[in-house]
Amino acid sequence: MKENKRKGLAGLLTSDRWSNVTVSVLAIILMLATSSVILLIMGKNPLTAFRSFLQGCGFLPKAKYGGGSGMLSDLFDYLNILAPMLLAAVAFIVAFKTGLFNIGISGQMLLSGFMATILVGYMKELSPWIAKPLVILIGIATGGLLGALIGFLKYKFNIHEVVSTIMVNYIISFTTGFFINTRYVDMLTRSSRICSTASRLTWTKVNIGGVNCNVPLGIVIAIIGAVLVKFIFDKTVFGFELKAVGTSRKCAGYIGVNVGRSIVLSMAFSGIFAGLAGVTYYLGYTNTMVPKTLPGMGYDSIAVALLGNSSPLGAIFASVIVTIFQSGANYMSSSIGVAKEIASLITGILLLFAACGEYMKILGRRKIEKEEDKKIAAMQEARVKGGADK
Amino acid sequence: MDEYIVEMRHITKRFPGIIANDDVSIGIRQGEVFALLGENGAGKSTLMSMLFGMYRPDLGEIYVRGEKVDFHSANDATAKNIGMVHQHFKLVDNYTIAENIVLGVEPMTRKLGFLPAVNMKEANREIEKLSKEYGLEVNPRNLIEDVPVSVRQRVEILKMLYRQAEIMIFDEPTAVLTPSEIEFLLKIIDSLRKAGKTIILITHKIEEIKQIADRCAILCRGKLVDVLDVNSASAQEMANMMVGREVDLVTHKSEPHIGKEVLNVQGLTVLDENKFPVVKDVSFCVRAGEIFAIAGVSGNGQTQIADAVCGLEEAAQGSITLNGQDITHTSIRKRAERGISYIPEDRQSTGTVMDFQLSENLALRRYGREPYSKKGILNFTKIRENAEELIDRYDIRCAQGPKTIMRSMSGGNQQKAIIGREIEEHSDLIIFVQPTRGLDIGAIEKIHNQILAERDRGAAILLISLELSEVMELADTIGVIFSGEMLKIAPASELTRNEVGRYMMGVKEA
Amino acid sequence: MTKVFTDGLSFALPLLIMAVGAIYSEKSGVTNLAIEGFQGFGAFIGALAAILVMPYFAKSSQVPIYIAMIFAAVGGGVYACLHALLCINFKANQVISGVVVNILAVALTTFFTSAANTALTGTASNKFILGVSNRYSIPLLSDIPVIGGLFKKMYPFEWIIIGLVVVFWYLMYKTRYGMRLRACGENPQALDAAGGDVVKTRWIAVIISGALSGIGGICFAYSIMANFSPSIYMGYGYLAIAAMIFGNWNIPATVVVCLVFGLAKAGGQQMCIAMKLPGNYTDLFNMLPYVLTMLLLIFFSKRNHPPQASGQPWDQSRR
Repeated sequence: MKENKRKGLAGLLTSDRWSNVTVSVLAIILMLATSSVILLIMGKNPLTAFRSFLQGCGFLPKAKYGGGSGMLSDLFDYLNILAPMLLAAVAFIVAFKTGLFNIGISGQMLLSGFMATILVGYMKELSPWIAKPLVILIGIATGGLLGALIGFLKYKFNIHEVVSTIMVNYIISFTTGFFINTRYVDMLTRSSRICSTASRLTWTKVNIGGVNCNVPLGIVIAIIGAVLVKFIFDKTVFGFELKAVGTSRKCAGYIGVNVGRSIVLSMAFSGIFAGLAGVTYYLGYTNTMVPKTLPGMGYDSIAVALLGNSSPLGAIFASVIVTIFQSGANYMSSSIGVAKEIASLITGILLLFAACGEYMKILGRRKIEKEEDKKIAAMQEARVKGGADK
Repeated sequence: MDEYIVEMRHITKRFPGIIANDDVSIGIRQGEVFALLGENGAGKSTLMSMLFGMYRPDLGEIYVRGEKVDFHSANDATAKNIGMVHQHFKLVDNYTIAENIVLGVEPMTRKLGFLPAVNMKEANREIEKLSKEYGLEVNPRNLIEDVPVSVRQRVEILKMLYRQAEIMIFDEPTAVLTPSEIEFLLKIIDSLRKAGKTIILITHKIEEIKQIADRCAILCRGKLVDVLDVNSASAQEMANMMVGREVDLVTHKSEPHIGKEVLNVQGLTVLDENKFPVVKDVSFCVRAGEIFAIAGVSGNGQTQIADAVCGLEEAAQGSITLNGQDITHTSIRKRAERGISYIPEDRQSTGTVMDFQLSENLALRRYGREPYSKKGILNFTKIRENAEELIDRYDIRCAQGPKTIMRSMSGGNQQKAIIGREIEEHSDLIIFVQPTRGLDIGAIEKIHNQILAERDRGAAILLISLELSEVMELADTIGVIFSGEMLKIAPASELTRNEVGRYMMGVKEA
Repeated sequence: MTKVFTDGLSFALPLLIMAVGAIYSEKSGVTNLAIEGFQGFGAFIGALAAILVMPYFAKSSQVPIYIAMIFAAVGGGVYACLHALLCINFKANQVISGVVVNILAVALTTFFTSAANTALTGTASNKFILGVSNRYSIPLLSDIPVIGGLFKKMYPFEWIIIGLVVVFWYLMYKTRYGMRLRACGENPQALDAAGGDVVKTRWIAVIISGALSGIGGICFAYSIMANFSPSIYMGYGYLAIAAMIFGNWNIPATVVVCLVFGLAKAGGQQMCIAMKLPGNYTDLFNMLPYVLTMLLLIFFSKRNHPPQASGQPWDQSRR
């Protein structure tokens, strides 16, 4: 640590233990700086903007609250978005560790949300104790099967998962859109009809400390999921083999890992988390589905995963940050009058800097090498001079 | 001041962590064949890369034709009529020979009087002419992917000629060739010398230097040891200087104690991805205590045989039996458990997971067994202990012990790790593919002794090597493969080096 | 039947020009999933330019369309620099870079469309209304029975695209730059050793890729969309990539694939109209190109030979 302090930022970027954290923190700082510049150009005070994001999420108190709501209700709403975001990020991480890009999280979320909505959400008179587990199961099954399909196509027909997931995304978007429009549409909102309270993964209007809160069930699932994934990849034979497939497919085959099976399993595993993200998003947060619209969260989760250095625990912290901008956007927009689309712009910028992470590490390494080189050069020159003196 | 065409004075080049060249000074005369002798990592290639403009020296000066030069890129060197044939050919597979040669200096024409286009007709004609002039026997219209390695090398030579190179650097040119191809190449080099070209030959093979070179500079660990007149120095002398200590040029091998049959391959045929047979109806057997070596030129199906035996490739036809049990359709892992160890050719992408720690790499064969894992949960303490043991026993040099990331280790130490891991399985059959490629003499010596020790323990050894000298030194039985067919199997004592070389060229009856 | 041909072509050609863009990038060794973002950003710049110049022209004038196309090419090319910078200089993972560039394009264009609308008109709409380009028939060719439909009611941009495809085919297969470009994607070391500049070659290729995609995007905006809005991100960029894959990274083969896509989509729509199905059913037919892509991928993916060095960052120190 002493050594690192002396070498400053370059040292932090190259040290085994700190480099990933440093890269993420740097990416966040750069993102804050860039978005401040954008806000300044638009004539807004960035500090007020960032404060209003935090206020919108219930981290800071707002100027005033409507009847029955308070800081705590904002915080719970924030957790309600955080849950699917974290689950989706974990979904991306699971595939990524096996060397696969699950760009189809949006589609997997959409279809599992759709299946759970029509199978359970519209079923009347179901006990919540049956409905809620059923919703979760349907999410797991739909997402898992879809993921397995992608893995199978990759292994059997050599179809790159990025292309196939994107095609499947659009197919799902059009098909579910068609069914929602023809069968399940609410004529007033032009979205699907809302799900029954029993099936929702959120307890609505729970009175805590005098304010009404929507308590999300999903956040518990999400945190358990993240920890579980960490355990699997760090401690088990199964995770070890998946990582081997992810880093060197050839070597994994050589030591006898069934590579095809690993690819299918990993995509299925990833799909399960995407499915869970789908049901927590559609039956926990939105409660309705807009036809022909893929959830942007499926892509934002990639930002979260990258920012968290594709580690499940890193993803928890990264999703906490990214969700602030997503969840606080409405309040920010209404309080300082900037279009709420700036939230996705900020996420995009963050994603951009997170993608530069490797380059930051290279820069750090180069700087240290240069310094060491200078030392050696100085030593050599001294030696050459010494030789000449003799 | 001599009549040197190239002079390099007090050259020093550092790379992070190592000094590749340390105050090296050499001078090369017009029209001679000048050899650079040294082990892998001695700094020969680095030195010549600087002459070719690919790196810049940290200290020191380069003079070409008496004029001080400062090359920033290979283009600058080409402009001074310097050319280089790299160890790994720099060719585009799906381009024709002519296209490869003119790439970068394309002759232009105008189609319909105004559209700029590359003039391939002109290029083909020119290259045909050059090829005839120097006896290179190359058809400019062939695709690179369709021609053998020796022709590819001649394409590289033509590339230099086409760019009017006068000073030609050859980096380990014979490493990929058969004995008769080597003869042919040396003849070409000789005719280039007669045409007045200056040749610099980088090599670690003393015999070649004896055969063709006029003078020879010896490098050891980045430092210049001496510059010799080839005629006045002995081979043993040169070898000692190169390694920096007394070396044994002969391996000491005891009589084999041959036991029961371990591996039996019958009528094996392997297809490539285009369903084209790359191994055709091959049969052989390897017995306990025997080293069975497959000799052959690269790309004749030998690696596919190894892959088929261990299960990485599917056998389209034929059977493979291990200790009397049919394993033709058994999974890779089951085969390994039944007693096959495999040291693959590609140690970096197949033999190891480069981004994993050394301890994990050393456990790649055993992580699924107790005590390294129990009920699917890994035991990292045991894995670390296993690594500490192997690091010690096989003298694996690693900066941070078991935690070292594989990628950061040297090639020789990576190979030591793989060999250690595989030998520790105490398998009945051990397959070695190119076990010493790219390693220095000291490491080669050690690995050869390990292979012999395993043989003497009673293991059956299948050795696949492109180095004919390695095959001749170690084998008890030799099989020669050509174009996927096993042309000859005979006890090593009954075959001479030249006979094996002829079979490698596909001559059926010698 | 004629409508199938005219609609088919007007869908196939913008798709084709994007696919050619993708081929340029991949042949140079840069995997390009960013086509979707390139076309959207290019279309955004083009549409913005059109909105700004429209007041100076007569209402029916077609000139803004051509100005928009030029600006779309410039916008796509400039935006592509981001992908080039990440992939070539920063050595980022090229698949991730593509995804990042796409997400950022959606965010940037959505945000700045409403920002621009607020500044120009005072309403925060996320659309630039562009209208649809005029159509023209080729006199003699369009009278040929059956295939004459291919030459009826064409958008002028279709002719521009056909011209561009020919030019860029020639550039890739006949010229010095093309020869170096293809070498660069197969074996950059070979090009480097022969004195070519790998970094420069790849940069140019990625910028061409962006410019061509931008043209594709604005053509969609001026035909099937009739405006610029976030709905430009319909996944056509990915369809172009799929077309490139079936075309085996070969321009003439990709032309055929794009035509098949276009005709399938237009055919589906006409069938829907002929069967008098309600409007919602068009969604099912809009899905056709994607389903077709999946099916074709299943049959063709195994035999593909992508450029060998595609996806690998070029590292000069590893020669």
